[in-house]
Amino acid sequence: MKGNHLGELEELVLLTVGSLYDKAYGVAVMDELKESAGRTMNISAIHAVLRRLEEKNLLSSRMGGSTNERGGRRKRLFTLTKSGKEAIDQTIAVRNTLYNRIPDISFNFSS
Amino acid sequence: MKDVKPPHWAEKFLQWYCDPYYLEEISGDIYELFERRTQQQGHKLARLKFVWDVFRFFRWSNIKKSNSKHTHMNKTILFKNYLKLGFRNIKRNMVSSVINIFGLSIAISFAITIYIFADMQLNMDKFHENGKQIYLLSSYLSMDGDNNLWCGSPLLLGPQMKADNPAIEAFTRYEYRTASVKRGVNVFEESITFVDQDFLDIFSFAISKGNRDALKSRNQIIISDEMATKYFEYDEPVGQEISLKFTNGKIQRFTVGAVMEKQPYNSSLTGQIYIPFESYKSIYIDEKYNWSHRTDATFVQLKAGKNLSDISGSFSKYIDLQLGSNADWKMEKINPIGLYDMSTQSFKMLSSVSVGGHPSGRLALSIMALLLLGMACFNFMNISVASSTKRLKEIALRKVMGGVKKQITQQFLTENILQCFFALTIGMVLAYFLMIPAFDYMIPQMELKFRSYEPESLAIFLLSLLLVTGIISGSYPALYISRFEAIAIFKGNQKFGSGNLFSKAMLGVQFFLATLTIVGCFSLTDQSIHLAEKDWGYNPKGIFSFYVYNQEQLDKLEKEIINLPELKNYTTASNLIGRGIPLKTIDYDNKKISARVIRSSENFVETMQLRLLNGRSLTNQTNDQQSSVVVNETFLKQMQWQDDPINKTFVLDSTRYKIVGVVGDFHYFSFYNSIQPVVITGLKNQTPKYISVSCDPDKMYELNQKTREIWAGIAPNDPFDVVFQEDTFNDFYNENETNIILTIMVSTIAIILACLGLYGLLSFNIQKKLREFSIRKVLGADPKSIAKIAGKQYTWVLIAAFLLGAPLGYWGMAQLISTIFPDPKGVSVIPLIVAISVISITLIATVTGQVLKAINVNPANILRSE
Repeated sequence: MKGNHLGELEELVLLTVGSLYDKAYGVAVMDELKESAGRTMNISAIHAVLRRLEEKNLLSSRMGGSTNERGGRRKRLFTLTKSGKEAIDQTIAVRNTLYNRIPDISFNFSS
Repeated sequence: MKDVKPPHWAEKFLQWYCDPYYLEEISGDIYELFERRTQQQGHKLARLKFVWDVFRFFRWSNIKKSNSKHTHMNKTILFKNYLKLGFRNIKRNMVSSVINIFGLSIAISFAITIYIFADMQLNMDKFHENGKQIYLLSSYLSMDGDNNLWCGSPLLLGPQMKADNPAIEAFTRYEYRTASVKRGVNVFEESITFVDQDFLDIFSFAISKGNRDALKSRNQIIISDEMATKYFEYDEPVGQEISLKFTNGKIQRFTVGAVMEKQPYNSSLTGQIYIPFESYKSIYIDEKYNWSHRTDATFVQLKAGKNLSDISGSFSKYIDLQLGSNADWKMEKINPIGLYDMSTQSFKMLSSVSVGGHPSGRLALSIMALLLLGMACFNFMNISVASSTKRLKEIALRKVMGGVKKQITQQFLTENILQCFFALTIGMVLAYFLMIPAFDYMIPQMELKFRSYEPESLAIFLLSLLLVTGIISGSYPALYISRFEAIAIFKGNQKFGSGNLFSKAMLGVQFFLATLTIVGCFSLTDQSIHLAEKDWGYNPKGIFSFYVYNQEQLDKLEKEIINLPELKNYTTASNLIGRGIPLKTIDYDNKKISARVIRSSENFVETMQLRLLNGRSLTNQTNDQQSSVVVNETFLKQMQWQDDPINKTFVLDSTRYKIVGVVGDFHYFSFYNSIQPVVITGLKNQTPKYISVSCDPDKMYELNQKTREIWAGIAPNDPFDVVFQEDTFNDFYNENETNIILTIMVSTIAIILACLGLYGLLSFNIQKKLREFSIRKVLGADPKSIAKIAGKQYTWVLIAAFLLGAPLGYWGMAQLISTIFPDPKGVSVIPLIVAISVISITLIATVTGQVLKAINVNPANILRSE
């Protein structure tokens, strides 16, 4: 299934949304990505990824309450869904399995 | 820190493209970033990045799509509903709708007519394919002390330029004459035109039969379709012989080489018989083919790619050639005019070969059309405003049901445009069947028809007429009423239109305009009629003159004419009243006065029936002929010799003259020119050019016949060139007559419109009071007192409007008249009386009509309805 396969950026965004828990909206995700992963991205790209993840049912969203910031405009807040959590778990599991299989010998760098 | 805002246009752009579902989050995020950047990176960079973000969001997934699931109006059905309501409203308010539509359609039909009129005048000669390369070489000539633009140019200008200048493809001269055309036993006097052989290569006149190159052989002529039917009926015209007798008595036979198709309506050259110029040379000119002679017009066609600057350099050379030719006229300047502009410029030229109206006519008519349209629109608007007050509840209900402001505006505009559409249709019908034929009747030479040089532009004109009148007349109520709050209407707070002051002000403006229109129209018509009845300063009846060619003819004629019993007086003179009179300068005490100088033998004053105010007329005594003059009043005024002018002397052409008589001022050229000083002197051994005779007006025909016979005996080879004095101002009178009819027509329309507007507005006002009247009636009021109450409220408005409109119209017209009309007649009070009575009658008729209607219905019906 397509939904099970995550791109690298998708994976990062999914993790970020998970880590921001209930405060995850466009700008916050962008800031977090820059801070923890060092990736500078345009806000429009973040929106695109978030929307794609929502379509894949990995995220769910709701509109937040209005505040005085942003000219009174509401935020769209994202949270992980159950299948989102599973997708992350699965990806990380795959990585760990593969990582653990790496023989020690390959860490002997010739440099 | 100051409040910084992102670029407005970028925000707008975002709102425009963005799917409303995502708009809030997207704009919120961009805005948050903008605020943060403003603080961190500065204002400019933040704005720049804002724009960048907006553009980055411009991607497929964010763009508004037409199949979005959000609320979507079904515009077609709504529009259908507007139309249906529009129809119903027209039906319900039949009277006001008819007034609206009828008034507008009259104004529109007038506008359409004027458009077609102007379209025709502005697109003359456009069918000539080479038109852009063809120029008419008109020229400034100084003659008899006047310097004027003439259509004509030296006879040799065309051929000389063609020989000199390789940029010229072809040339043709255009010489108007008349000739007697004889075919079998039929003889007719026809206008003929001599043209050079390239005439049909230059101009795109179509040939229906025969050879297009016919003019290249000197014995062939080209005739129009009309002429062919006239002379040959059903016979094949090409190859037939025809004999022409020219004005100097020479007779020549020609073969018809070709027949021209009927010229397009927009041809300003209207020749019917074209003859090769070679014949002109042999018939009229002989050895005098030189620079001292003039032809009526010279056209040149430039080679493709060449322009005027390729030939204008050589003009001075031809001017020198002409100046060296010892003619009694001098060419000052050659003035090339493009063929497409010829007709519109022709009013500036003397003896133009091209037909073309004066632009002031177009302008005045367009202004009138605009005024009428404006009036009709104003009526329309007024009535729409008044009628929409009846529909406030409908508007409120629409709003409650979810209609927005824009929709209400659309609805009202649709209704208005619907009415305008009817008006336009009726207007077109009126224009086609009534207005254009009427114009055609008034100005027959125009052959005005419902047509346009570019049908597309006519269509665009009609469409814009529809939209502009619809929007202008409907926008005020539509925009204003649509703003009302539904709740205010339902609560009855919205007193729009029913406010006393507002409706009275509207009525006042309407009264004011009506007064202005009526006063203006009546004074204009009055003035034109006054002009037609104006005194010429002399009595032209029973006077005619004819041209004499030499002294010998003159002597013989004099001897015979004296014996005619019908003859009252006769004189010989160098000039004719009504034709050009030379301007000379008079020296007196270091003063210089320009005066028109007429030279004549005895009895000039008596023959021309001038008014002798003082002294006597000239005699044939040598003394008198050499040094006496008769002057006009203006002369004395300029000399300041009003008291005792007789025997005063002055110097003219180094001769001292003594004043022996004074005549009243008379018009010697046209009423539009002011009168200058006039001096009548003796002939002083010059050969006169004209013999003028006067007789009893009833006997003029016989006298004319007899002199014609005498002439035929004395000078059989010279034409009898007769001028009737009454004809000299014919053009002026025809034009004035057309003006009078036009002003009367426009005035009638304007007054009808004004009255219609009044009627419409008044009936609305009264209808709103129906409940009041019904209550009064129930309580026992009699019809008289109700009518009194209904009428009373308008009396003051009427008086105020009249007091304002009358002096303004009066003053404005006096201003206008003094600039247009020569010697204006004072504006009389009659227009004011007419204005007040027309308006009062309309007022009274409307009020009584409406009140009668109100009285005749059962009051219960009205009172029950709400």
